[in-house]
Amino acid sequence: MAIDAKPALPFEVPGGEGYWRAAWRRMKHHRVAMAGGIVILIFIAAAVAGPPLSPYSFDQIDLRHRKALPTLSHLLGTDELGHDVFTRLLYAGRISLSVGFSAALAAALFGMVIGGVAGYYGRWVDNALMRVTDIMFSVPDLPILIILSRYLGGSVAGIIFVIGIFAWMGVARLVRGELLKLRRQDFAEAARAIGARDVRILARHLIPNALAPVIVSATLTVGGAILSEAALSFLGIGIQPPIPSWGNMLQNAQDFVWTTPWLAVWPGVMIFLTVLCFNFLGDGLRDALDPRLRI
Amino acid sequence: MSRYIARRLLQMIPLFLGLSVLVFLLLALAPGDPVDLLVFGNPHVRPADVVRLKHLYGLDQPLHIRYVKWLWATLHGDLGYSRTYKQPVFSLMASRIGNSLWLQIPALLLALSVAVPVGIYSALRQYSAADYAATLFTFLGVSIPAFWFGIMMIYLCAVWHPWTSLSFLAWLTLPAGGFSSPGVSGGAAVVDRLRYMVLPTVVLSLVFMAGYTRYTRSSMLEVVRQDYVRTARAKGLPEWIVIHKHAVRNTMIPLVTIIALSIPGLFAGAPLTETVFGWPGVGQLFVASVLAGDFAVAQGIIMLLAVLVIFFNLFADIAYAALDPRVRYD
Repeated sequence: MAIDAKPALPFEVPGGEGYWRAAWRRMKHHRVAMAGGIVILIFIAAAVAGPPLSPYSFDQIDLRHRKALPTLSHLLGTDELGHDVFTRLLYAGRISLSVGFSAALAAALFGMVIGGVAGYYGRWVDNALMRVTDIMFSVPDLPILIILSRYLGGSVAGIIFVIGIFAWMGVARLVRGELLKLRRQDFAEAARAIGARDVRILARHLIPNALAPVIVSATLTVGGAILSEAALSFLGIGIQPPIPSWGNMLQNAQDFVWTTPWLAVWPGVMIFLTVLCFNFLGDGLRDALDPRLRI
Repeated sequence: MSRYIARRLLQMIPLFLGLSVLVFLLLALAPGDPVDLLVFGNPHVRPADVVRLKHLYGLDQPLHIRYVKWLWATLHGDLGYSRTYKQPVFSLMASRIGNSLWLQIPALLLALSVAVPVGIYSALRQYSAADYAATLFTFLGVSIPAFWFGIMMIYLCAVWHPWTSLSFLAWLTLPAGGFSSPGVSGGAAVVDRLRYMVLPTVVLSLVFMAGYTRYTRSSMLEVVRQDYVRTARAKGLPEWIVIHKHAVRNTMIPLVTIIALSIPGLFAGAPLTETVFGWPGVGQLFVASVLAGDFAVAQGIIMLLAVLVIFFNLFADIAYAALDPRVRYD
């Protein structure tokens, strides 16, 4: 049997503007969030297009020009091995941004599965999954991240995994809370009545309706994940040199704060700005996607 | 009330067991047990000795037996022995907790003394310039990497100190890191300790401050919209009494819970800030021991932290229920 009714969206008014269109309209008015989003897009573009355009490679050593001050040929100077700092900063942006996005995406997907199953099936399944979530929540995350990345860190995939497995609990709770409300609503009952399977009801009807808080939470998680990656790499157990990340560039620069303090400025500024922009963007998305404002 | 507390205490047991399994597995499944690491550091150890040592430490036993033995020892206060520091983990931690508190308590107090008034003011003047400034500050505070802020402060106050020629600003020139200067005693030692405390305390408190400001503001915003605040205004009370007696006191209720929840962190120290400033606290001990592969120390610190977290969670809930008569115990 074909069950291809258009999934219901929250507060859809017949003849009114659609949910996502209205959200976008609200979003455009949130100037700070839009600015944050634009800066993020610029950073992504620079990280993708920058390294191939640069005349230097990220691991190109030039021992005759070490710890050089900024010049026209080295826009932000060079570090203690003669690496071009600007090129490394762009390349590190690739690493730090992809760690942030991948960890947040993986965590959001995992959280949706856990929260979806818990909220849909309820009863003992819900109880068991939520107790696990509680335990993961009460574990102090930074110390555990430090231990885990001591032996799983080093590779980009390892760091994404380590950060991701401690970032899904918020999404799981959000989705579960939404589903407890949604699963008894008429459109879910209707789908069940015409014989749709659980997976289909979840994936097509329930999860899409719980997506708004997930998007907000995932956006904020990207910023958090970038901060975690920076902290771990700063401690020397995250991304390993010669692959640059903003965190390990800072670790390196810390040793030279007495002689070449400017090396410590740029990676920190990049982390700070990126995380700030994700927080602004998440805040704007929360306002734009919150359907309660709509009634 | 007592039934509620009893039930919550019983609920703590599975939570504690779950956490202990997690912490145990985290370190038991780590590649390389202590004996492997010993052999790695010293290739002259004979295979027969490896077998003997593994038997001695009980590493040749199945995982569940090791867990029960470890849990039993932990519950009796035996947290194991640190290879790198050559002393029991318990006494090692005990010697560091005080140092962490030296940093954490002033940082927390500083944060609260700024965050609470700023949060309340900014809620009362919502959408004013001051409110936007405060909100921007909280965004900056939660987005800044604390360790980078620490490095920048070290550079400013210990390396660069551009105010060198201005003698009245000389006190702003501060040590880059560490705990105390050697050979200073008496009253001078107090001043000396304070000088070492300034930078890490400021860096640490910024992290707290941003969160508490945001929290106070949103809590206050919710309270001033309540009917009882409108009633207080309607019966003609002066505005300052409405704010002080009716709004602020109710804003404090959720704040107390948040403070209770941050107490466990005080004992665990700040791994990043303490590392940046070379402050010999629990956080710095944690980072150093993990980097050295001395996981017994890390395990001990995490277990202590986990127990404190569980306990203060309960404490926060009870405090909330006790302070707010609207909260029922079931």
